[in-house]
Amino acid sequence: MILSLFVIFALGPIIVLIFNSVKGSAELGRNPLGPPREVIIENYPDAWETGNFSTTVRNSLIIVTGTVSGVLLFGGMAAYSLAKLKLPRIVPNILIIYLLVISSLPVQLFLVPLFVLWRTLHLIDNLLGVIIIYIALYSPFSIFLMRAYIIQIPGDFEDAARIEGANEWQVFTKIVVPLSWPVFLSVGLIVSMFAWNEFLIATVFLTKREVFTVVTSYFAFSKRFGVDWGLTSAAAVMMIIPIISVFLIFQRRFIQGLYQGGIKG
Amino acid sequence: MWKKGEIILAFYINSKKIRPEFKRMVLRKKIIPWLFLLPILLLHLFVTIGPSISSIYYSLTDWSGLGTAKFIGIGNFQQLWFNDKSFISAFSHNSIWLFYCIITFVMALLVASLLAPLKKGGIAIRTVLFIPFVLSSVVTASIWRNLLNPDRGIGAQLAKIGIYGLDKAFLGITKTSLFTVFFIDNWHWWVFIMVLLLTAMQNIPKELYEAARVDGVNRWQEFRYVTLPGIRPTLFFLILMTGIWTFQTFDYIWILTYGGPAGSSEVLGTLVLKNAFIRLEAGYAAAIGLTMSLFSGILVSIFVYLKKKGLEI
Amino acid sequence: MKKLLLWIVVLMLVATFSLVGCKTAPEAVEAEEVAEEVEEEAAVVEETPVVEEEKAKIVIWGDTVDGDTALTGWEEDIIPQFLEQNKNIEIEYTQQPNVHETTRTALLGGAGPDIVISYGPSFASELAKGGYLYPLDDFVKEYGWDNVFAPWSLTSYIVEGSLYALPDEIETLVLYYNKTLFDEKGWKPPTTIDELLVLCKDIAEEGIIPFAHCNAEWRPANEWFVGEFLNHAGGTQVVYEALIGQGSWTDPSLVYSMEILNEIVQKGWFTGGLDRYYTTTFDEQLAMFGDGKAAMNIEGTWSICDYPNYFGEEAGNSNDWDWVPMPSVTGEAIFDVGIGSVWGINKNTEYPEATAKFIDYFYSSEVQGRLLSGVMGKAPAPVELEEKDLKGVDPRYAEILLSLSKAFEANNYGYTTWTFLGPKSNLYLVEEIEKVWAGDITVEQYLEGMQEIFSEELEAGEGLPIPVR
Repeated sequence: MILSLFVIFALGPIIVLIFNSVKGSAELGRNPLGPPREVIIENYPDAWETGNFSTTVRNSLIIVTGTVSGVLLFGGMAAYSLAKLKLPRIVPNILIIYLLVISSLPVQLFLVPLFVLWRTLHLIDNLLGVIIIYIALYSPFSIFLMRAYIIQIPGDFEDAARIEGANEWQVFTKIVVPLSWPVFLSVGLIVSMFAWNEFLIATVFLTKREVFTVVTSYFAFSKRFGVDWGLTSAAAVMMIIPIISVFLIFQRRFIQGLYQGGIKG
Repeated sequence: MWKKGEIILAFYINSKKIRPEFKRMVLRKKIIPWLFLLPILLLHLFVTIGPSISSIYYSLTDWSGLGTAKFIGIGNFQQLWFNDKSFISAFSHNSIWLFYCIITFVMALLVASLLAPLKKGGIAIRTVLFIPFVLSSVVTASIWRNLLNPDRGIGAQLAKIGIYGLDKAFLGITKTSLFTVFFIDNWHWWVFIMVLLLTAMQNIPKELYEAARVDGVNRWQEFRYVTLPGIRPTLFFLILMTGIWTFQTFDYIWILTYGGPAGSSEVLGTLVLKNAFIRLEAGYAAAIGLTMSLFSGILVSIFVYLKKKGLEI
Repeated sequence: MKKLLLWIVVLMLVATFSLVGCKTAPEAVEAEEVAEEVEEEAAVVEETPVVEEEKAKIVIWGDTVDGDTALTGWEEDIIPQFLEQNKNIEIEYTQQPNVHETTRTALLGGAGPDIVISYGPSFASELAKGGYLYPLDDFVKEYGWDNVFAPWSLTSYIVEGSLYALPDEIETLVLYYNKTLFDEKGWKPPTTIDELLVLCKDIAEEGIIPFAHCNAEWRPANEWFVGEFLNHAGGTQVVYEALIGQGSWTDPSLVYSMEILNEIVQKGWFTGGLDRYYTTTFDEQLAMFGDGKAAMNIEGTWSICDYPNYFGEEAGNSNDWDWVPMPSVTGEAIFDVGIGSVWGINKNTEYPEATAKFIDYFYSSEVQGRLLSGVMGKAPAPVELEEKDLKGVDPRYAEILLSLSKAFEANNYGYTTWTFLGPKSNLYLVEEIEKVWAGDITVEQYLEGMQEIFSEELEAGEGLPIPVR
């Protein structure tokens, strides 16, 4: 059926990549696309060493963790405010339009002044600098998502808490956040994916080798792996395994989240 | 907004130290929502709004990125829109890219309509098809660069079994470079559109389909008269967003062709970076960035206008 | 459960920030530690503290980009050896992140290191013109530098009649060829442009690719070939005049040089065709060259360290490489100059003599030879290197360097485009040549555009220093 063609189209290249990741250069010359006849699993530890994965994976993880925490915390607060707290009537609409506008601004518009500002603040070549940028970039989409969810939580729980004397922060942390864990999970997954894979900001703001992420390191050092496409493939596979695994486990939330955020927002 | 009376009341209460619970309530009602919004708003101001406004200012200067900026009014824009061949060329490439996106939508609509009626199997297929989307652009570029190698890639293997003509270095030929990059980018993100359209299709009430079947329509008519109208809002929204995102495309061009060969795949996104960091013309780059935003703004306005006019979008 | 979730989020944030804090702190701590160590070493080496003579102290700033190998090189080799000979001088070498920024700020405030190192030729130019550097003319006489330095290097940074800075890290390009292949086929490496063209034809007829060149991974590689042909097929004097604004890039000999380059490209002699040139990676290129599928490679001295991976047993072939100077119109050996870094002395230095002494030491043939072969693998300074100091270096590289010195004495040097052209001209040169190759514009139009952009940059004062010929 037509669908199977599409499946081959989507998966084929990835399967070829996996095949190639365990081939030696000699076999790659003879058999560039097919299944490996001889499996050279050493490609993986070799690629790990050459590509300095211990540093880059750590950097990428730090960035992802920081970004997700920031987005969930600050974005969650904003979403709660827009959904539940009493702002003057037109403000939520203005803010929603504001978020829409912000998310359609091309990065290139504010890239240069941002870079100069960051340079003055010594945030270049600094993972924290990138985390801050990512939080700002990925929050509009996340706020839409979280707001849409929070708004349909029945207000009874909060009111009950308020009567008990809880302040807003407690209402937020003890009632709303726990009840919203599905959307928090979705947002966390999606933002993790974007933060792990991001290229433009990472390349511009992280220039020293010690702070390279998996993505920028792969880009900068594809030469280091030499003509050994097997090594390069192994490196690529190591880069995509985490994100594919996480995706496969949580795929329903992922896709659902993207839909909610994309359309409802 | 704050009614005058309430402000006065607040001050009154404050000064008179009367009924603290009332004061607290007033405080809670008015300020706390803003406090919750504050962190993210500050962050945006710092990272996005502030620099964007700076960009507007810098686009009116001859700033190089270092040192001082001299005000030159709309000089950058005049140069850019009327004198710069690379801008016209890049802009046209972005437009052609938008045109290529028709392929993306055809693929997405086709597969979505095939998957919509399926139940369990559909989810598995959808998941599998989605995998390319979670790959980073560098990895995707790397995979395809290898697959498109004229001596070792798909083209070469096809030539061995008698299908000729596909074993060229497509990325290195000026006529095909843009499309090739689009093809690779498409492989990555067409599923995103497909999945969104699919979900929209699945939200069309079954009764409409049943009614159509009663009238005895064939599959194509069913698609045209039930499905398409049913997903219209989503479809138009996606077309709008695609339009906006297309003009910002950057990653794959930068990684695969750097705008070449001979500027045949240069786009506005890469032009901005080249001007800002290589030619050291940050003011000019800001002008390009502003032009890009202007264009996005026009697209959004058209969309909003059509929506207002009730064009059931 | 609910509280736990929030705590997890907060903890993640805290962990992130502290980890990030740890990330950037060590650098600063390291730099301080290194500075302390160096001072301690200096204190230890010094045997008898001379009470009357105050010790001169020289501060030098490198960039963290140089990395640990450079740091070690300085700490364990360069500095101690100097201190042995000069017991009344102390040296402090540290690596600063973004050294240009830090230096500029410090200099503006009247402070800063004694030795100012510029990574790339333009920063030094900015400082020299701005009056932040100490004049070097007396030292040139005192240390006899005009006998040791290449003449052009002593005329690069002259502002109002005085010399202010000295180039370092010289690179050049030559014509590498697969020696085994040449011997097999009975080919002779060319010395003139005409010989080169004939040779290419012969090579192509044998079904072998004349040049293994590519720019898929580094688009600006175009500038290597444009630069080489402008200088060698056009003429270094003509290029010089264009660079100082007295001639023009549209000079007929330059037009001729670009047409030759275009001819070579159109005949598919670069990697078997333009599309291959644009899509081949460095490794494929070098493999092609090593295996003998391609015969020649015009590239820089930087590639010598890559060749061992592609030639010989380990690479799966029995080939070896050799080099000749890039052919020129007359057949004379000309080398285009690329400058990596530039040294100057801070105008406000307290110890100009001591600093000059260190410079004399650093730029000596002995030290440069050591740095070349072992310690840091650094590209050499433009001084005359003696054979005995080049012992640890690949003999072919040593040969190149020795020929370099001779050529410099005879003023036979050219201009690499990335060293001597401003950013706009350079980008134009790299990108527009592809349009010539695609047939979109003619060579004349290309050079006319070049002249336009170049003059604009020159007028705006954005040009780079050109050594007086």
